Amino acid sequence: MKVIRSLLDKLYEVPGLQRYKPIIGAADAILYGTNETTHAAPHVVDNIDIKRYMSFVILALLPAVAASVYFFGFRVIAIIMVSYMAGGAVEVIFAMVGKHDIHEGFLITGLIFPLVLPPTCPLWVVAIGVVFGTMFGKEMFGGTGRNIFNPALVGRLFITIAFPAIMSANWQQPFDYSLETDATTVATPLGKYKSTAMAGEVNPTVVEFKEDEANKQVLFTSAAAVEKCTLNPESKFDGVKIYCVGNGAYKKAAKHKRIEESNLTRLFSYGDLLVGKEPGSMGETCRIVIILGGIFLMFAKVSNWRIPVSYLGTVFVLALVGHRFLPQDIAPPVFQIFAGGLMFGAMFMATDPITSPFTKAGKYCFGVSCGVLTVLIRSFTGYVEGVMFSIVIMNAFTPLIDQIVLMFKYRPAKT
Amino acid sequence: MIAKNRAFPGGYRFKHFQGRPQDKLIKAAIPAMVTIPLMQGFGDEVAAVVGADDKVAAGQTIGRDDESISSPVHSSVNGKVVNIGKIDYLGNETTAITIESDGTEGWQSLEGCSAAWDNLSIEQIEKLVYLSGASGAGRDGIPTGFNSSIISPDEVENVIIHGVESEMFAVSSGLLLKDDNLSHFAEGTKILRKMLPHAAFSIALNSECKSLITDVSGALADNDWCDVRGLEPRYPADYDEVLVSAVLGREFPVGHLAANIGVIVLDIQAVLAVYDAVVAGKAVIERTIALAGPGFKENLHISARVGSPVQHIIDGMVKQDADLRFLRNSCLTGEALSDLSMPADRTCGAIIAVVEGNNREMFAFVRPGPRKDSYSRTFLSLLFGSEKITKLCETNLRGEERPCISCNYCVEVCPVSLMPHLLFRHVEREIIDEKLLKYGIYDCIECNLCTYVCPSKITLGQWIKDGKAKLIDEGLPCPQPKFALKGLEEDEDAK
Ligand code: SF4
Ligand code: SF4
Repeated sequence: MKVIRSLLDKLYEVPGLQRYKPIIGAADAILYGTNETTHAAPHVVDNIDIKRYMSFVILALLPAVAASVYFFGFRVIAIIMVSYMAGGAVEVIFAMVGKHDIHEGFLITGLIFPLVLPPTCPLWVVAIGVVFGTMFGKEMFGGTGRNIFNPALVGRLFITIAFPAIMSANWQQPFDYSLETDATTVATPLGKYKSTAMAGEVNPTVVEFKEDEANKQVLFTSAAAVEKCTLNPESKFDGVKIYCVGNGAYKKAAKHKRIEESNLTRLFSYGDLLVGKEPGSMGETCRIVIILGGIFLMFAKVSNWRIPVSYLGTVFVLALVGHRFLPQDIAPPVFQIFAGGLMFGAMFMATDPITSPFTKAGKYCFGVSCGVLTVLIRSFTGYVEGVMFSIVIMNAFTPLIDQIVLMFKYRPAKT
Repeated sequence: MIAKNRAFPGGYRFKHFQGRPQDKLIKAAIPAMVTIPLMQGFGDEVAAVVGADDKVAAGQTIGRDDESISSPVHSSVNGKVVNIGKIDYLGNETTAITIESDGTEGWQSLEGCSAAWDNLSIEQIEKLVYLSGASGAGRDGIPTGFNSSIISPDEVENVIIHGVESEMFAVSSGLLLKDDNLSHFAEGTKILRKMLPHAAFSIALNSECKSLITDVSGALADNDWCDVRGLEPRYPADYDEVLVSAVLGREFPVGHLAANIGVIVLDIQAVLAVYDAVVAGKAVIERTIALAGPGFKENLHISARVGSPVQHIIDGMVKQDADLRFLRNSCLTGEALSDLSMPADRTCGAIIAVVEGNNREMFAFVRPGPRKDSYSRTFLSLLFGSEKITKLCETNLRGEERPCISCNYCVEVCPVSLMPHLLFRHVEREIIDEKLLKYGIYDCIECNLCTYVCPSKITLGQWIKDGKAKLIDEGLPCPQPKFALKGLEEDEDAK
């Protein structure tokens, strides 16, 4: 180890390398830590630093990374490496030009960004996305701490808009490690729900089969809905295609004598959603480890519980009420919570302290607004998923929210 | 009577740091030389009443000024004045009297003291207390008829006596109140009550020392003017600002002293000093000082004569092979003692020796850290911390300065509910205007806890201090509290 130490010390001295000081410094700091001491009171300070703070986010994400490798194959690793290299290069260049230390933020961006991509994403798109995100999402604003938008989301948004074909259709089925993209792509649960709900009735109280409706289909979102419909003597299921959300509804429907097994399809089960056996972005499918990672971060005080709780809570409540009245448009609550990128977004992206409000009231406001936007976008637009958009939109409003909260908080000027 | 108290927001528990002083007291030898600054703690510098080459006795008044707000200072040894001159003391130029000691232990007692203090008149007691130099170690003295406080005895509504020990290291209240001292303390409190008959007394102790609280409330039972309570030793629980609101539920007059609303804050040593003065006629010539921190061979308390050079007090107790930094009173707000020949005056409660952490550590940021303290829960010390596995106490920054990431740690710990990072951002960008006032910059009690917890290593406390100074330069001084204040004219006169 002494060899590295003396090598680093020598590198600092080499005149030609002055320009690369940020790189040497970063390597030095990561390897050896700092020897700087406090100058004045407080003479003793807390042991936490930004490196550790950030590495805890990575630690919390590792299970999700492992899960995505398990479900989608080793290509995930390649994607993450490309993301780190491209993103790291941008960070280093900006550090060299701006003559400041390399900031640790890209360690998180570089990992979160690939995790929100579809597993089939080509490597060059990954590189473009992370470079764009780091540059325009962060460095343009003056680097870590000053950015308004979550850089990973900016990158993701950019490639969604620039390469819509790659980003919207190609969902790899978990455990399908072959890379023949055309052959294996499937719709995500949210996509399946949306298309099925659009094509037929949702939770009808009575099903009537008419001859002229050749491809009639019906979607049930709960066992209770199935029961209600099947108990109705008027219901006739001959030839009607029945889709069910979750095992409960499926089993109930399968038990019913008048429903033929061949006409019955289970869209997905909640259990599969939870463990990640449904298609989706690389890191967002295995919800159970995401939840655990998120709770771990909150426990470690690295992220704050207010945003995830208010975000998920709002989605749940809105979906609960909305699904009751507009089942055609708004998916059921539990499904919404566990589908798509919501859990990942709420736990790891909306909680980014830099791009979310710092005031307590602002955090709730941010979470609730994200929730409302997510449900609205998922239900009433052409997009299947709305998490990314809602967080980016709310990122833009973050300074305003804080300003307003501060205005109220300090209204009676303390005299 | 054991009373309840209000909690204050934020704060931080400093638990299990290495070098906590044991409940053991030793006596320092009489130093060959003492240096007595003529300004100690609160008030103005007093005039010397002895000259060079005068023979003085321990306990003899050597500096006194009855006109300005101050309390007299005494020689702490028997001997001879060798010099009266200016010294650079804790960053201030102060006149100090240097006395060569003859090495004897005895001291001269104050006139008129009596074990049967109840028979003394209030005036006699006031005189004894004033002459003894007993005062709160903090920012104010004990009101007497002799200008020893900005308010007169009649104006005192509350007295708070605290021994909460919320600092990383503090003098042990249990030790101060051991054996006879418990009854001395109770007597001292009663003497104070006799001097301040309109005041309600509150004694705030470390809530974890249950037996101590029971003992003290037992010793002071049947006195309905006095309540004893436990306060969670969460830093900065023993700051005047926090005590006033936590114990009394009263608003602190920001930018002023507790005395301005009729509250006197004293520590346990001050009460014992009152007892010593009135009953034994002993002036404040001795202090119990905690020797804390990992730099000492043994962490204990030492009773030393006021004005002893720090070097003399710690002589032979310090670990030899370590690179140490010596601090006065507090790790969070105390001054570094660069010159160990400087004296420890009567406001000194602790000498702390911390290790200069200028060593590098392999992969410091990913180490599990079973002995590293952190406000966040990212170190194993969270699970391990105990009396056996103590936390390290050294000056390494453990990280580089980074931009603020709005993690809100500073907001969460601030005991007066400020948003330190918000203030910092304004001061950093040179936005010095009413906004800072609006965000309550003057409410900051400079406890430095925000700097302690910041993962970006931003010296928030310093920035806020600078911000205050700049605001004053801009002509935006601290606004007056809305409620009436006491003792303001005297304050003005003093200036
Ligand atoms: S603790 Fe430091 S990094 Fe965190 S909000 Fe406060 S100033 Fe910013
Ligand atoms: S130094 Fe001031 S701002 Fe910082 S925690 Fe203490 S009171 Fe709050």
